[in-house]
Amino acid sequence: MTQLPTPGATPAAPPPSEPLPTAAPPRPRWRETLGLLARNPTAAVSAVVLVLIVLMAVFDETLAPDGPNDQDPSRQLQPPSWSHPFGTDEFGRDILSRVVLGAATSLRVGFLSVAFALVVGTLIGLLAGYYGRWVDDTLMRLMDVLFAFPAVLLAIAIVAIRGAGPANAILAIGIVYVPIFARVTRASVLGVREEVYVRASRSVGASDWRLITRHVLPNAAPPIIVQTSISLAFAVLAEAALSFLGLGPRRPNPSWGLMLADGRGFIDQAWWYTVFPGLAIVVTVLCFNLLGDGLRDVLDPRQRTLMAGGGR
Amino acid sequence: MTSPAKGGPAEGAPDVLVSARGLEVHFPIRSGGALRRTTGVLRAVDGVDLDVHRGETLGLVGESGCGKSTLGNALLRLVPPTGGTVTFDGADVTRMRRRELRELRRRAGMVFQDPFASLDPRRTVAQTVAEPLEVHGLHPGRQARAARVRELLQLVGLDPAVAARYPHEFSGGQRQRVGIARALAGEPDFLVCDEAIASLDVSVQAQVLNLLRRLQRQLGLTLLFISHDLSAVRHVSDRIAVMYLGRVVEVGPAAAVAAGPQMPYTRALLSAVPLPHPELERSRQRIVLRGDVPSPSRVPSGCRFRTRCPDVFQPCPDVDPALQPVGSAPGHVAACHLHGVVGTPVERERPDAPVDAGDPAA
Amino acid sequence: MTAPVLEVEDLRVDLRTPRGTAHVVNGLSYTVGAGETVAVVGESGSGKSVSVLALLGLLPARTATVTGRALLDGEDLLTMSPERLRQVRGPGVGMVFQDPMTSLNPVLTVGRQLTEGLRAHGSLSKAAARARAVELLGEVGLPDPGRAVDRYPHELSGGMRQRVVIAIALSNSPSLLIADEATTALDVTVQAQILDLVEGLQTEHGTGVVWITHDLGVVAGIADRVLVMYGGRCVEDGTVDDVLERPVHPYTRGLLGALPDLATDDEADLATIPGTPPPPTDLPAGCVFWPRCPVRGDARCETEQPPLAVVAAGTGGLPHRAATWCAEGEAS
Ligand SMILES: Nc1ncnc2c1ncn2[C@@H]1O[C@H](COP(=O)(O)OP(=O)(O)OP(=O)(O)O)[C@@H](O)[C@H]1O
Ligand SMILES: Nc1ncnc2c1ncn2[C@@H]1O[C@H](COP(=O)(O)OP(=O)(O)OP(=O)(O)O)[C@@H](O)[C@H]1O
Ligand code: SF4
Ligand code: SF4
Ligand SMILES: [Mg+2]
Ligand SMILES: [Mg+2]
Repeated sequence: MTQLPTPGATPAAPPPSEPLPTAAPPRPRWRETLGLLARNPTAAVSAVVLVLIVLMAVFDETLAPDGPNDQDPSRQLQPPSWSHPFGTDEFGRDILSRVVLGAATSLRVGFLSVAFALVVGTLIGLLAGYYGRWVDDTLMRLMDVLFAFPAVLLAIAIVAIRGAGPANAILAIGIVYVPIFARVTRASVLGVREEVYVRASRSVGASDWRLITRHVLPNAAPPIIVQTSISLAFAVLAEAALSFLGLGPRRPNPSWGLMLADGRGFIDQAWWYTVFPGLAIVVTVLCFNLLGDGLRDVLDPRQRTLMAGGGR
Repeated sequence: MTSPAKGGPAEGAPDVLVSARGLEVHFPIRSGGALRRTTGVLRAVDGVDLDVHRGETLGLVGESGCGKSTLGNALLRLVPPTGGTVTFDGADVTRMRRRELRELRRRAGMVFQDPFASLDPRRTVAQTVAEPLEVHGLHPGRQARAARVRELLQLVGLDPAVAARYPHEFSGGQRQRVGIARALAGEPDFLVCDEAIASLDVSVQAQVLNLLRRLQRQLGLTLLFISHDLSAVRHVSDRIAVMYLGRVVEVGPAAAVAAGPQMPYTRALLSAVPLPHPELERSRQRIVLRGDVPSPSRVPSGCRFRTRCPDVFQPCPDVDPALQPVGSAPGHVAACHLHGVVGTPVERERPDAPVDAGDPAA
Repeated sequence: MTAPVLEVEDLRVDLRTPRGTAHVVNGLSYTVGAGETVAVVGESGSGKSVSVLALLGLLPARTATVTGRALLDGEDLLTMSPERLRQVRGPGVGMVFQDPMTSLNPVLTVGRQLTEGLRAHGSLSKAAARARAVELLGEVGLPDPGRAVDRYPHELSGGMRQRVVIAIALSNSPSLLIADEATTALDVTVQAQILDLVEGLQTEHGTGVVWITHDLGVVAGIADRVLVMYGGRCVEDGTVDDVLERPVHPYTRGLLGALPDLATDDEADLATIPGTPPPPTDLPAGCVFWPRCPVRGDARCETEQPPLAVVAAGTGGLPHRAATWCAEGEAS
């Protein structure tokens, strides 16, 4: 291997002898990313709230004042009070306890269904967008078919075939979201694929795998991140809707969606029955969205310092 | 690992490293609107015969949009050719398998035209420059690689301390140098420089030109140097090739082409070079070409320059001129009937060969 | 002299970076008269692009600090509201960016991008705007403009993209045109055509032009005045003849000495300026060119910043100025 010569005229400054302090860290700079996230107040607050919600879901049994199904006929449909801050339901169960205990179910359905859709949908979109031609045609026609079904109908069909319950609710919601992720990813990949820097990497011999993982996916990621946060929000709502229709997690174990569904019958007598689980959903959904926006900005190196040389 | 000299070229028969024969790159043209139907074909590169000799610098000049970048890309199979062949060191590039292609990618590099688009915005300069090293397993080990990256950055006149920065923190010229460092990282035998110096100021241009020449002398690097800057091309090139509308129309030793252009288009091109001296510049006589540049989707019949040629005469629309020896310098060829009518007569049936190029588009 | 279209006074741009504050532009002042062309040349990375991006408020407010004044027809661009700035871009200032792809939207056809600007500032019907777009593309020398309007930026060659950006910048006949490396991707014949087009605009509308370029041949052809930048400062200015034929500042001399020449073939290396420019985060205390200067003929070079001072009466009624302590040794 011949060594490239160093021309006499070019670098005048002698090479600094200390080890290159700037030798690039190979992977995303987690600490820097977290630091930047912390400087984005809305995203930071959302992250903290989500961590709290997740912790609540994990330690639900310890945190909840009562068990999920501790009934007490003497305290049916009581408004919020010191002993029951969120009030009680028609069986006299403590709503605060059920909101805490329902978090796990609702979040699990949300996370897992979106994770499923994210992995499968992104993979499909990536392959379709990157390889184009018949791969694209085949995969996207498939997605169109899937997408053409009304979401609820599809979910009902899946649940009808496999039976109700959290696992099938996850599958149903996940499958419904696959085409959305596939489309978002494909659209984004189509743009990135044409970029000169992708061709430039190919010109130095990078394999398809390397191009996809190092260049195409990172640059195509922002819309996918946003879609993920939106979908997480919708998945929590979808869990509610499925439960509402009796297709999701089964009674008597609580989930936010189920509680919302059950509380509906008492909306005129006991507002707290629906409001608190509803609030839990709204707060979670909102936090996911805000965090998603923040992440998208923070992961872009151009936002880290600033943009030069362009005006859009 | 420099190219194995195959027993040395015979006297007079130059040793060819890269060669294109009848190379074509045609793009489909799609209509506007939602359907985007294919309505025609754009002949970006349309029958190019070109040899790049081992160890030489071949300058490639020509009007904007005449297919220079596409040709450079097609030689490296970065754009798939739709016709013709390309051979690299004897091997057919268009039929290479994965392994051979990978080796080609190491042995042939490219500096891209647009320095703003050719660097991945999400990767640091070090990651970008190190990519060829990683891909080909050169200089293994983090330390060795970082040292090599530093060396490469210095080679192109950048402070090695910038390695951890992202492209958006650089000016256009600085980015272009990162692109050059990346192209040099794998120690290629063949380098396509597509407007590699256009966004550099003249003193840095001079540094890069000197660097390329030095590499060439020491490593036997072969260069295809695409540029609009005819003075720079003249300075670095051993030979110059002139392209017009997807075709190579004149090739010859640099001095011969610059001093005695034999094809009217080359003459016009040379007369349009602005001079960096105000008084000379004011008195410069430019050959102004009449007429609009024809689109590569409507190539004029016969000589493709005939719609703007000041010397156009009777056989020009009917015979497609072939490259023929011209002038006194050996190896100087041009495609022009002024030197004798040689070439293929036009079949009148070609659907996309309008009688006149300036007809309104539907 | 005609009333200036643009008056820049003591423009300074600091960029916050993870490695400290980068002083990218350090006290730049110049004026552009109606119909006048000011060429800005200089070292790659000397702050040419940043200085014009700052004028149009295109640096992100979060990390850029811009101070000074920049009067466009008497109105300060730097203190303008964002809405007013948006109105001014187009009919007031046309800008051709160095990076054609960032100023073009990759998912819109060329025609859409042109007509948007035309319709935002005028009252053209859709069809009329499209017709005008085709006409403009023809004027910048795009072959087959009738079809080119329906193409996407990535389907165009580098030079064609650049011409689309130029067409957009010229579409509203601005009173000030800022062109940042606008013709680098163009061959000399098309370049000549564009330069003619701009000249036509200047005589017709009195457009003032700021032309940033590395091509000193272009400078010689179109500029009335030249401003040489180094390290975020103007180190020399004057008429084209003065600066290109009788350069004073050691940097300008080095720059001109590095030019290859079409007429000669020398096997020798081109002259270069050894060394690299100082990083904008860490500028030298004295003269910015000091670390690379072959002259350094004064005790103050290292410690004191030389002011931009008149070195010769200059031709064309303009003083020839340079920022160096050693202006004696006249041009060779
Ligand atoms: N991906 C593509 N799809 C369709 N047309 C294309 C594509 N790439 C290039 N072209 C067309 O091919 C022709 C030649 O383009 P090319 O980029 O090779 O020109 P060039 O000689 O490099 O010009 P320049 O000097 O302006 O860079 C142009 O007409 C261009 O519009
Ligand atoms: N976002 C940024 N963060 C930090 N530094 C930056 C940023 N953008 C530009 N710079 C620095 O500012 C300096 C001036 O950049 P600018 O783009 O204005 O140079 P230029 O004179 O236009 O050069 P060129 O001729 O190469 O385009 C450069 O040193 C560059 O590294
Ligand atoms: S062949 Fe005819 S038209 Fe073509 S360049 Fe020669 S003289 Fe001109
Ligand atoms: S002030 Fe001194 S160091 Fe600076 S350019 Fe003049 S002579 Fe050189
Ligand atoms: Mg090109
Ligand atoms: Mg610039």
